Amino acid sequence: MRAVLLGLRLGRWGIVGFSLAGLFLTLVQSIGYYQIAGHTAAERANFGAAIAALQAQFVALFPPALAPETVAGYVQFRAYNPLLILFAVWALASSSGFARGDEERGVGEASLAAGVSRVWLIASRTIAFAIAVTVAAVAAAVGFALGVASGHESVEPQGLIEATALLAAVGLACYSLSLLIAQLVGARLATATAGAFLLALFLINSLSRVFDSLLTLRWLSPFRYYDLSQPLPRGGYFSFGGFVVLLAMAVAASVAASLAIQRRDVGGSVLRLPALERRPTVEPATAAWWRIPVVRDLYELRLGILAWAVGMAVLGTVFVSLTRTIVQALQSIKALLPYLSIFAHEDLYPAVLGYTWFNVAQLLFAAFAITYVARWSAQDTDGRLEMFLSAPVSRAAIVLERMAVLAAGAVIVSAVSGVMLFFVSQQQGINLNVGRLVAASLMLIPFALVFAGAGSLLASWNPRAAAGLLGAFAFASYLDTELGPIFKLPLWLQDLSAFKLFGTPLLSGVDTRNLTLMLLLALAGLGSSILLLQRRDVGA
Amino acid sequence: MLHEMASAAIRTAGLSKDYGAERGLFDLDLQVSAQEVFGYLGPNGAGKTTTIRLLMGMIRPTAGSAYIFGLDCVREAVEVKRRVGYLPGDVPQFGSLRGGEIVAYLGGMRGGVDPRNVRSLAERFDLDLSRRFREYSSGNKQKLAILLAFMHRPDLLILDEPTSGLDPLNQQEFYALLREARDDGATVFLSSHVLSEVEHVSDRVGILRSGKLVKVAELEELKHIRVHRVEVEFAPDEKIPFDRLRALTGVDDLTVNGQRVTCTVHGAFDGLIDALASHAVVDFVSTEPSLEEFFLSFFGEKKRKALPP
Repeated sequence: MRAVLLGLRLGRWGIVGFSLAGLFLTLVQSIGYYQIAGHTAAERANFGAAIAALQAQFVALFPPALAPETVAGYVQFRAYNPLLILFAVWALASSSGFARGDEERGVGEASLAAGVSRVWLIASRTIAFAIAVTVAAVAAAVGFALGVASGHESVEPQGLIEATALLAAVGLACYSLSLLIAQLVGARLATATAGAFLLALFLINSLSRVFDSLLTLRWLSPFRYYDLSQPLPRGGYFSFGGFVVLLAMAVAASVAASLAIQRRDVGGSVLRLPALERRPTVEPATAAWWRIPVVRDLYELRLGILAWAVGMAVLGTVFVSLTRTIVQALQSIKALLPYLSIFAHEDLYPAVLGYTWFNVAQLLFAAFAITYVARWSAQDTDGRLEMFLSAPVSRAAIVLERMAVLAAGAVIVSAVSGVMLFFVSQQQGINLNVGRLVAASLMLIPFALVFAGAGSLLASWNPRAAAGLLGAFAFASYLDTELGPIFKLPLWLQDLSAFKLFGTPLLSGVDTRNLTLMLLLALAGLGSSILLLQRRDVGA
Repeated sequence: MLHEMASAAIRTAGLSKDYGAERGLFDLDLQVSAQEVFGYLGPNGAGKTTTIRLLMGMIRPTAGSAYIFGLDCVREAVEVKRRVGYLPGDVPQFGSLRGGEIVAYLGGMRGGVDPRNVRSLAERFDLDLSRRFREYSSGNKQKLAILLAFMHRPDLLILDEPTSGLDPLNQQEFYALLREARDDGATVFLSSHVLSEVEHVSDRVGILRSGKLVKVAELEELKHIRVHRVEVEFAPDEKIPFDRLRALTGVDDLTVNGQRVTCTVHGAFDGLIDALASHAVVDFVSTEPSLEEFFLSFFGEKKRKALPP
């Protein structure tokens, strides 16, 4: 029991953060529904049709919305679908943090030394996460109930309970699967491999809605069993079998992880790549890049940057391939034809590609920036920053170098994905304006720098909380674009969101005002983080 | 006085860092001369690392000031660090970087590192720089930290408990390295909680207690104030020279249990050895007291109350 409590104690900020995210997301989406859906049945039917048209563009990501003209159908689509991704990311971070992070810090070793068996160690953390994810799912349910109450309607209790259980079950399945992967591969690769594995499972399921060839594989994906239910709207459905499969998946993966942890050394992995023989040496590395600021960090981060570049290029390729399907789906909706006829036929493809791919790319670049900020925080807490500062370099130089490294990494990733997008779209017969494609790809860099500036500020102020707070900032920024127009937030407040400032460069080019604002926000973050770091105690 | 201040490698005046609840460092007035090895002694939590972090400009003082070679440790931190080699109390985590890459990385940040010096230090400590940091044992991590502190032949070495994790052979090698650095003109500021270590290498010792510098002693003085617990076992039929032992200067707490005599010895052992020389002794064990015992003995402090069960 103590091991479970320790797991909950170590993950308390995750529980608080994701519970708040769940509560907030369902609450604002349900309140937002009443702001924009209208009040009469006809208005709501029209609204439902508009959401159906919108969801056609996201068919490759989320299942079709059921009864989007109702608050429950709308929230199922607009809140519970994003929460699925959010909880999967939480499961990944939490499981690899336990399996590898805790082990590197000696927490795992201390637990084993205290008499906790390896099997119980896995079981206790899985139970702790099950409790945590249930708490967060319940918070999401509470947010929905409060939002619905604000519209003087009532919720269907059974549907809400089923949606809550389903969200918790899929989160738990993702946790156990990531935990298993973390046992199989080494510490360096655990998070990336588990992340790639979960992403692959997600894409197998979501792309199977578009590519029939994937239908035979989707039974492997826990997200498939989540899709089998849409319990929230009246007249919705709940697949009890799918729910049981999710729980069975979680239990099976936890059992496999328990077996795996017994077969590996602490700090080791079940699968081991044959190590290259290296001759012992007393010589320091002689490559020139170690002497060049920024370049030395890029070299150290080369594998991560490569993974981001390849991942973005592959995802970009998938989205280009989906564009034709999405456009055909949009054109098949008769109600949309007058609206679509506004665009020339050639412009519809870039419009859709710009809307789908560059929306996803923004989220990924925000995540890219958050991983760098997490690294800065780790440098602070593990003593590397103290070591850097023992060299004759100023704190300002450290902050500047960090930002330059992030900018250079973003340039590489956006360039690779942009070039790939260009060639694949040419192949698919989609004519993109090259200048605008370059501009849109380059706009991702200041976009990432806005998050880097905010992250730098947070890392200078409180390194331990920086990554979490920046994640919350990204979440709030995203909601700002979603909710700003609905709640009629002041323009200056909406302009604080990089998601809004990014605009639609593939369709309409770069908005100089927005670009300037993004650069100013990044500079403000940079300047204030330098001032803060100069005043903060390091290593205390 | 002016000359002394100009030639001081380290000078602090009223240096304080108050963490609240009487934790931190208070009113530190200290001067370490150039080419001196200064031992900084204190139990855990006494404020040694806080002092070192203040000197390195990692943390800002609540009050007072600190200077290294006349340079302000806060305002001129970059210039200070050009002349300093630093070994932190906790070896930083460099993850999957190889030893040679870490040296190249930090050497690149610093500049002016002679690869021959790196090679010589790595050979001396038998440190394989081809291995990843994650694969190093704690002793090897400590050796790498020592190499990083010494690799640019700094004018001042600030070392926070540098021998923790080192085996006795490497400790001796480290002491030899310190002596060579001093002979080459370097100043050394070395913190430790091991009395014998600072005694072994230092010219002077500062003793810190609860955030306050309670004593600065020359090495000779330290030898007089040092304390050892001694157990002597006499041969079965040997008569124990109890009265002679009791009369010895610096020998206290004498107890006899059969043929076994225990006592504490302050300062040198000469008198005790002379007294035992004409007797058949089958066992002689001398143990260094913990710092706690040292403080009890030297400062006449009351023993801390045990925590309730």
